[in-house]
This record gives sequence, structure tokens and C-alpha cells, in this order.
Amino acid sequence: MRKRLLQVLGVVAVILAVIALLKVAPAGGASPSPTAKTAWGDPDLQGIWTDDYQTPLQRPVKYANKAEFTDQERAELDRQRAAILRRNQRVEVGTERDVAGAYNAVFQSIKHTGKRTSLIVDPPDGRIPALTADAKQRADTDRAFRLALLQATETCKKGDPACAGGKYGPRSPRYNEMPPFYNTGRLNRSNGPEDRSMMERCMAAVLPDFTGYRRIVQAPGAVSIFYDVGQGQGWQRVITLDQVPHLPSNVRQRFGDSRGHWEGNTLVVDVTNFSPKSDFQGARENLHLVERWTRTDAKTLEYTVTIEDPTTWTKPWTVKQEMNRQDEQANRIYYEPRCHEGNYGLPALLSGTRAEEAAFAAGKGPDPATKDSATDFGTEGGVDALTGGG
Amino acid sequence: MSRRTLVAAVMATAVVTAIVSVSVTRITGQSSRPARTADGKPNFSGVWQAINEANWDLQAHDARPGAVTQKSAYPYVYAEVPAAPVLALGAAAIVPGSIGVVQGDGQIPYTPAAAMKKAENAAHWIDRDPELKCYLPGIPRATYMPFPFQIVQSTSKIQMIYTFSNAARTIHLDKVAGPPDDTWMGHSVGRWEGDTLVVDVTNFNDKTWFDRAGNFHSDALHVVERFTPITADALRYEATIEDPNVFSKPWTIAMPIYRRLEPNAQVLDYPCIDFTEEFMYGHLRKQQLVKHWEGETIAVDITRKVPPGERLFDWYGK
Repeated sequence: MRKRLLQVLGVVAVILAVIALLKVAPAGGASPSPTAKTAWGDPDLQGIWTDDYQTPLQRPVKYANKAEFTDQERAELDRQRAAILRRNQRVEVGTERDVAGAYNAVFQSIKHTGKRTSLIVDPPDGRIPALTADAKQRADTDRAFRLALLQATETCKKGDPACAGGKYGPRSPRYNEMPPFYNTGRLNRSNGPEDRSMMERCMAAVLPDFTGYRRIVQAPGAVSIFYDVGQGQGWQRVITLDQVPHLPSNVRQRFGDSRGHWEGNTLVVDVTNFSPKSDFQGARENLHLVERWTRTDAKTLEYTVTIEDPTTWTKPWTVKQEMNRQDEQANRIYYEPRCHEGNYGLPALLSGTRAEEAAFAAGKGPDPATKDSATDFGTEGGVDALTGGG
Repeated sequence: MSRRTLVAAVMATAVVTAIVSVSVTRITGQSSRPARTADGKPNFSGVWQAINEANWDLQAHDARPGAVTQKSAYPYVYAEVPAAPVLALGAAAIVPGSIGVVQGDGQIPYTPAAAMKKAENAAHWIDRDPELKCYLPGIPRATYMPFPFQIVQSTSKIQMIYTFSNAARTIHLDKVAGPPDDTWMGHSVGRWEGDTLVVDVTNFNDKTWFDRAGNFHSDALHVVERFTPITADALRYEATIEDPNVFSKPWTIAMPIYRRLEPNAQVLDYPCIDFTEEFMYGHLRKQQLVKHWEGETIAVDITRKVPPGERLFDWYGK
């Protein structure tokens, strides 16, 4: 009996040892993956990441048959783009157009030209697929309303491209109408916060995002990504890796609801439950994303996202972006999103418009509807050779 | 080795493995989380929440009829009734009482001048509390606001993600230098002292509050937090608050924080930038929803339509 007990214990020890070995052995057996792993064995995506290069989302028309630039072409584009003065050419200082421009080149970093001519890799032409008939009608309806509100401005009088499709005339009766859809862009009206853009309201961030910085922190079962984007309009998401279903369909969130899992070295994330108040290229609550995050080497994180909304586009499309690892010390500052805490612009816009209305009513100033607070005149300093004409 | 021996061994292994698993793994609801991380630290990853009244007032206090009150027929403070901004909410607007979270004698050691400012803050809560404007809540307040927050614990960084205002902070266990300017959420540097996560928080601005009672600080605030496991699903949170501009000596708050055990617990969107626009900018609308102004004061008219069949009103009239 005693001998058998010892035998049993011995076998138990062996089995436990084998289990222990299996637990610490890297997944995939003998050939350890070159990809960095966390202490608990997941692929390690952690750190601060950004795309060091400038690549337009859509391929400019002039590069229609060209997926990549040569090194020579990139150097030449860098040279041309560095020469653009952009908004430092402020010939109309103090004017309405100057104020609408708002930021000069100090605020506009110019990154080196990237290798690819578009971030979009599918469809192969590098362009966002056609809108569905319904989405096109929505876009036209929205555009018509915006043009009606611009109608009495200098922008339309001068035939500025911002008024394309519109006409110059007296204040439109539509000036008193509600927008056809929940507004997310700049309207040429400031009746209340909802007339102003999400950028002015400190809610410009969207998912997917191809700008700014990300800080990724991981734990077993969760991946946290902080997005430092926009003007202090950063935001935080947590991707749960637990096998739990998406939120009930009536629960809607600005940045959707993320559920992830590992496929080999890739974090695959399914994002649904977007809000009708979030707008990505015209898609709102029906947006569906499948993201793939893969560390391809020590300094590169590849992000691909397949973007789908059958109520907006005729087919899904895919964007691929390579992000570069950033130095922790050099990038330690200013990731706290403080746009809302310092938003003097929005109340000033509203209160300024109220003052203009009062002055107009008293016969002491122009009709506010004749002024343009919707158009971004920012490209007047020169057209970016990389994206211009696209 | 007989077949019986092998079967017995396999069964014994199963039992041993099960026991070992039970001892290191707790089914917490948020799938199964080991009580310790791969590097042997207590595992704080998951969704947590303080369950107390600290966000109303860190100190022990009576229940009150509302966050803003006014004098009634009696002159006593304890006989006040809800004021207009919260009146329509009835019992839903009552401020709960609390045993308090301030350690020691329960007092906050304000300097005399700061004590006056605190009292003034309390009287003007509705105009001054940054919470009402959806501003970043600061530390330690983010921890005990009445919402879940998530901890994503890695080896050299720990991210804390708060419901309120989508606030977040990174705790650097690898000693990243602080920012050159002040911040709302502070700069957090952490270290392990045994099983306690100690977080040293500096680089604050003077704009956040500790609660809805007007407790405040200056930009000299220095907070030392201690997160210590009680069980796998509860931890003790302690924060020592130091600010020579406002307090005559450091003081400490402490409370348990509990794991949210729902299997699908998650931090949901709390879009308060959007939802506070009316509060902040409503008076700048072309057509104001609040129409009643008295000089520089927004006077809120409380209207509540009594539905037909509401017995109390049928019986006793209006």
C-alpha cells in the first residue's frame, strides 16, 4: 500500500511538473516568436505610439495608379511641403476670414512624407467606396442646409469654393430651421452649442482615428488605449478580452463598445454600439469596425481597421497605418485632455453672436447671417503638395 | 505501474491541481482573475467602486434634504427644505448621511483663512464645484466618485480609467519625470511596498475639489495613496493629503473599495461634456430654455404637472 502511495505521489509529481512546464513554455512550441511578450505571455503592444509620417487617408487623384512613392519622390515632396508657408501668410490680419482661420503654421506640424500614397489599402484604388444612394441623399440634404445658411455671406458672393453648389442671395428662410440631422460640423449659425462643430464643443475625437498619439497599457484580460488627439480632446478606451457579448443594442457610446481577442500575435477588436452623435466620414450609429493591432518589430505597431456601414458605404473598406514607438521621457507631457476645462471659445462664439444680433436689431451692425463662421479658410496659405488636388 | 495506480495518480493530480487553482484563482465575475500577477504583485486589474458618501462630504455628516437648501418656517439649519434647483426631484435629491472617511479625529486641519474659504465654497457649491461643469475630477476624488473605475495593471505602468468625464491617469512604476506644468489629475509615480501599491501624486493645479462640501486645496497639493488588498475583491484605499498653503498638517482619508462582480462589468460612457452644455452655456442661446432672469441670477421655475389619478392630489387638492 505504502509503495503504491509513493508510486502515485511520484506520478503526480511528474504530471504536475509537465503541467508546470507546459504553462511556462511559449505558445507555438520550440520556435519562440520574435514578438515581445508581456510577463503573462500576451503579445506586448505597450508604449506610446504615433505615425511618424504623413500619409493622406485617401489617395490623391493625381497618384491614381501609384500605391507607393519612391524615396526620391518622398524627398522631393518633403522639400515642396516644407516651403509651404500655410497660415503664416496672414494678409487679412484682423478680418473675419483671418479669425476663421484661427491657427497659423505654429500649430500645424508637417511630418515627413510617408511611403504609401494613401492609408486606405482596400479598395485597391485607395479611395473611400461610393456612398449608398440613401447616404448620398443624406449628404446632399445636409450640404443643401449648410449652403442655405452661407447664402448671404461674402464667401458665396465671391464664389469661394466653400460655397460650391450654393448661390449668393439674401438671408435664407432656412436660417430659422432645425438642421436635417444632428449637427456635428460647423454651421454658419450660432443659435446654441448644437450649431457649432464637435471640435468647438471639445468632442471632436472619433474612432477610428489616424492622428495623434496612443498610450497602450495591458493587463491579462484588458487592453487600455489612451488617445491623445485633437486639441486636448483626448479620450480613453478599454478593450475587454473577456468573452462577454457586446452591450445591449440600446446602449450607445461615442466611441462604441470594444470586444477583443488574440489571434496569434494580433489583437483583434470588434467595435459596435456607436452613438448617433458620433460621426466618422458620415457613418454614425451603424458603424462597425474590426481592428487588428500587431507589433511587427520592436519599434513598429501595425494598425489595420476594416470599416463597415451598409447604410453609408456600398462596401467595407480597410485602412492600414504603421505606428512608431515614441520615447517615454520625451513624450511625457500634456496628454491630459483639457479642452473642455479651457473652452472659452464656445461661449465666446455664442455670446459674440448674441451681441451681433443685438447690434443688428438696433441698426448698428450687419446681419450676423452675412458673416461666415463656418468656413475653414486654412488652406489659403498654400496647397499641400501631398494631399492637394485630391 | 498498474493501470489502477495511473488512474489514482491522475485523479490525485486533478484534485491537487484543483486545490492549487482554487488557492490562486478567484472567480470574481470579471472572468477568473488570479489573485496575483505574473510578477507576484497583488492583482488589482478589474472594475472597482467605492461604496460610501465621501463625494458628498469627506467628513461625517447628517442627511440633508437636498444639495442646495433654503430656510423654511423655522430658523434652524436642521429644518431647512430643498431649494429650487433640486426641489422637483423630491426624495431622489436627498443627500445621504455619512460616518465620514477622514481618519483620526475626523477633522480636516485647515488654516484659519482656508477654513473660511471652505465654508464659503460650501455655501456656493452650485456655482463653484468643478464636478458640476464636468471638469476632470482630480485625485483622490476620482477614486470615490459614485461610479465604477477600471484598473489595467501592467508591469511598469498601471492605467486607471474613471467613469466621470472619461478621466484617466497613468501610474508610472518606472519613474517618468513629471510634466513641466500643472495638471488636473496629477502626475502619478508608483512603487510596491510589500503588497501595497504606493502612489505619489504631484503636479496638481488648484482647480479640483475633494467633494461636494467645498473641501479644496492649492497647487501645492501632494497626495500619497496606498492601495492594499483586503481580499481578492476588496482593497483598502488610503490617501494622505498634504498642502502647506491650505492645511496646517497632513491628514488622511481611508475607505474600502470593492470589485464589481458582475461578469460583464465595464466602465460605460459618461458624456458629461455634452450633457453639461445647457448648464454652462444655456444662457447664451438665442432662444433660452431657462427664460426667467432676475438681474444677474438665473431663476429656475420648477414646473411639475400632476398626472390625472394621482390620489394624494385628488384627495387633498392643490
